[in-house]
Amino acid sequence: MSNARIQPRPVADTTGRPDFISIKNFGFWYGDKKALESMTFDIPERQVVAFIGPSGCGKSTLLRNLNRMNDLVDGISHEGDIAIKGQSIYDPGLEVISLRRRVGMVFQKSNPFPKSIYENVVFALRVMGVNNRAVLDEACETSLRKAALWDEVKDRLNDNALGLSGGQMQRLCIARAIANRPEILLMDEPCSALDPIATGKIEELIHELKTQFTIVIVTHSMQQAARVSDRTAFFYLGKLIEYDTTEKIFMNPGQAQTEAYISGRFG
Amino acid sequence: MEENQSKSTEQLSESRFQVSRSTLLIDSWMGRIIRLGGISVVVAVFGMLGFLVSQIFPLFSKAKVEPLTLVDFTQASSVAWGEDEYGELPFSCDTKGNITFRKAKDGSLVKTWTADFKTTPITLEGQTTPAVSIPVTAIKTYPRDGLVLLGLADGSVRELKISYKITFAKNGIRELEPTVDLQYAGKIGELNGPILEAWSVKGPEGKLYLSRQQKDGHDVITGRRLVERKGLSGKAKVTVSEPFPIAADVTDLERVLVPSTADSILVIRKTGEVRVYDNSENTFSLMQSFKPFGEAKNQTIAAAGFIFGNVSVVFQGNQNEEVVWSLYPQKQADGQLLRRWGKIHDCETLAGVGQGIFPAAGNKCYLSVAGGRMQIRNMTNESIRWEGAAPASPIQQVVFSRNYNRFSVLCEDGKLYRWSITDHHPEASWSTFFGKIWYEGAEAPDYTWQSSSGSDEFEAKYSLVPLIYGTVKGTFYALLFAIPIALLAAIYVSHFLRPEWKNVIKPLMEIMASLPSVVLGFLAGLWLAPLVDTHLIPILCVIAILAPSALLAGYVWSKLPQPVRRRVGAGWEFAYLFPFIVLCAYGAWQMGPLIESTFFTVKDLASGQNISDFREWWRQSTGLSYDARNSLVVGFVMGFAVIPIVFTIAEDALSNVPNSLISGSLALGASRWQTVWTVVVPTAISGILSAIMIGFGRAVGETMIVVMATGNTAVMEANPFNGMRTLSANIAVELPEAAAGETHFRALFLGACCLFALTFIVNTFAEILRQRLRERFKMN
Ligand SMILES: Nc1ncnc2c1ncn2[C@@H]1O[C@H](COP(=O)(O)OP(=O)(O)OP(=O)(O)O)[C@@H](O)[C@H]1O
Ligand SMILES: [Mg+2]
Repeated sequence: MSNARIQPRPVADTTGRPDFISIKNFGFWYGDKKALESMTFDIPERQVVAFIGPSGCGKSTLLRNLNRMNDLVDGISHEGDIAIKGQSIYDPGLEVISLRRRVGMVFQKSNPFPKSIYENVVFALRVMGVNNRAVLDEACETSLRKAALWDEVKDRLNDNALGLSGGQMQRLCIARAIANRPEILLMDEPCSALDPIATGKIEELIHELKTQFTIVIVTHSMQQAARVSDRTAFFYLGKLIEYDTTEKIFMNPGQAQTEAYISGRFG
Repeated sequence: MEENQSKSTEQLSESRFQVSRSTLLIDSWMGRIIRLGGISVVVAVFGMLGFLVSQIFPLFSKAKVEPLTLVDFTQASSVAWGEDEYGELPFSCDTKGNITFRKAKDGSLVKTWTADFKTTPITLEGQTTPAVSIPVTAIKTYPRDGLVLLGLADGSVRELKISYKITFAKNGIRELEPTVDLQYAGKIGELNGPILEAWSVKGPEGKLYLSRQQKDGHDVITGRRLVERKGLSGKAKVTVSEPFPIAADVTDLERVLVPSTADSILVIRKTGEVRVYDNSENTFSLMQSFKPFGEAKNQTIAAAGFIFGNVSVVFQGNQNEEVVWSLYPQKQADGQLLRRWGKIHDCETLAGVGQGIFPAAGNKCYLSVAGGRMQIRNMTNESIRWEGAAPASPIQQVVFSRNYNRFSVLCEDGKLYRWSITDHHPEASWSTFFGKIWYEGAEAPDYTWQSSSGSDEFEAKYSLVPLIYGTVKGTFYALLFAIPIALLAAIYVSHFLRPEWKNVIKPLMEIMASLPSVVLGFLAGLWLAPLVDTHLIPILCVIAILAPSALLAGYVWSKLPQPVRRRVGAGWEFAYLFPFIVLCAYGAWQMGPLIESTFFTVKDLASGQNISDFREWWRQSTGLSYDARNSLVVGFVMGFAVIPIVFTIAEDALSNVPNSLISGSLALGASRWQTVWTVVVPTAISGILSAIMIGFGRAVGETMIVVMATGNTAVMEANPFNGMRTLSANIAVELPEAAAGETHFRALFLGACCLFALTFIVNTFAEILRQRLRERFKMN
């Protein structure tokens, strides 16, 4: 509600590939229950796309499909396809692990490992087999700087990450997700547990990251979606209702449902 | 209407905050009951510990010695004494051979017996030489046999039997009536000179009389046997052997030691040399000579005495020497192993010239006198039981009562000093339980547990070290087998296996945990041990092939194209792995005999033919023993008992790692194994450690499996192909035969305490480690 922080509207980067992530007739089931109706849309490179919609409408489900985290759930099935840079993520020749290295993810609830801050940040590099201390140190510092956490933790890198505050932990999770330079960053309500100041920091961070990463963010805050995203997708009951530039969605929505949701008449 | 409503809300809000009395009552009572339960657990644990300590405490107490009433025989020159079984009526013998009985209670005189031996009157050519008294020249008493042996001036001996008749006076008081009967009279040697010392001992072949007389200016020893044979009529026929000389080659005789078994005679020369004459045929021949204080030292032997059992002798020197020599097998120059005398103990001793060594009856203690002090010492563990001042007058003879509760010292002035002694555990000391001890008959000091034998003269061996060793060994082999399997299984089941399988396997494992160990021990002893015995190499081959074949399977798997791998669903990989491993194991089993015949062929000692038998190969090439019931079998079966609990607890700990961490790790591009190894295991490490500790506790305390699956020999060898005896099995096996309160019984409790201490120490360390780890991988 507060407009204390006035963000300059980001300029959409149109130099990248427009169908960086391409979702084609994608539908999804948890067992017998259809969670996502068939949908088709593209996410352009180096842009921020916000998923909005009422609770339970399938935002997280779609997000988690982008790096195939839903594979951990039993009895799932899908139709259609999702392609990243033209390659299907369901390609039998594609290793899930390498997909997940390409597509980083920040969870709704921060989940740092019970290890030191340093080890948390360099985790992705370590599992890739990087053990060169200099490389790790460098990656640790740049990631923490990008996540706007460096100044707060630089003197206690070897402390347990669980000693950080909730907002710091969430930024640590972001730092951890970008340490191995993925191409795509998925964020599931990254600010839901944060105070306005931390939220502001993370939003600033999203602006900065946008220059390098393609970001998909799920949010319940209309203001946040309006502030950070270039494009917005509105979901309702597992259906993609509308997908367009954020400006269009917020100023001049094409669907009545979208308008109703944005203006707070339901949801 | 409105009023009503507001009223009802008021009523509702009033009662809403009331807590019912019963809730409060139950709450407070349950609190009390729970507190009571907690306190009683603590009390029970400490009570048990207290009981254990109270049982072992007496082991380490010294002897309590208290003076009893002194009996004054008022004979100026008492030389020997004896007493009845209860010590009520001691007697003393003076140099003339007169015997005086006095009551121990008040010293009142009961009877005197005067020695008066006369020559037989001889009539020669009508002239009769009157019988004259022959003076007594040597006196020896055998107090525990009630014998007094007198040597006379004419070279003959008289053996007197002291017996006590119990009569009851009119007022019901028990009276003892001593009688002195002549039992044997005769000559030992041919010499007519006075007897200087005489001995009468009873060996297995009959009685042996020895005498010491002067001839040609030096002492000679003569022996004569009395062999009693029962004839067909039941009448005993006594044959007296010809006299025979003993140690005729010794001219500087100082002292002679004759064991009551009469199988060897130790002759001590003035030079300090000891010559041992062994019973052979009808005479005694030299077996060995040695100098107890060292070959270089020409140290005279001040006193010496056989210890109960007659295989060890304590020698006391003039300059604080006190050594124990004993008979044990020794390697001779020609490589033969023969029983010879050798030094087994070298004790710190009383200062001053040695004045006597007096053995106790029934145990291995002895009293030594030197420099005006007396010391009671246990020979086996060298512990000093008691030390005190000796009476001023020279000590003639010290006798311990048969049950080691009293000892009395006869001094030259005719006074008999008496002490009561309370020493229930003379054979117990710190070194008995934890030190290396040179036991009688052993070739070297060693840690030995052997609590009983057929003979009373046996030294009980209570070293707990081999038992502790066996416990550690059994636990080691069990955990070596169980921990990797249980932990890997727990990891697999918690994070790789499909949940529907997990729901079957976990309860199954829990059932396995409740399998009685008697059943497992039974299987181990009667089924597995014979199987392993005959198929050892194939079994070892199968065990050895498991891990490599699994790795190979993994390698092949990783080389398979992704589409093929994808066909096997997550959690179903075992369906691929299992046949692979089974195939490899089968191959290894079939290869077993081939491997045995190529690597383990030895010449059979019995038939002289080449046989391929690992067991024989092991015996011959390592020199170690091979038992069918060995540590491998115990480790395997005990591991079987340990696996389920370790598995269950570890699996719980691993499953409880939050899912958010696992998906966090997977989302960062970690593989499943990397996730488990770098995130799940460190997070669950304290739970895993608890699982290992509980498994350790189970293995350490496991009794029935060890009892049934090993030979229970208390050996100290790391050899995986022989057995062991653990502390717990030892208690189970021996407690039923140990009488409450005796040393053996308490030693078993000490073993229990050691077991307690062992688990306590290991658990404490593990707990400290666990706390550290928990601090490090804290989850909030
Ligand atoms: N693991 C699962 N198994 C079965 N059904 C699921 C699972 N996860 C989510 N669902 C269902 O799928 C639907 C979409 O859920 P999803 O988590 O995507 O909603 P969402 O839009 O993220 O909601 P929120 O804003 O509350 O997070 C819901 O009806 C939910 O109940
Ligand atoms: Mg969600």
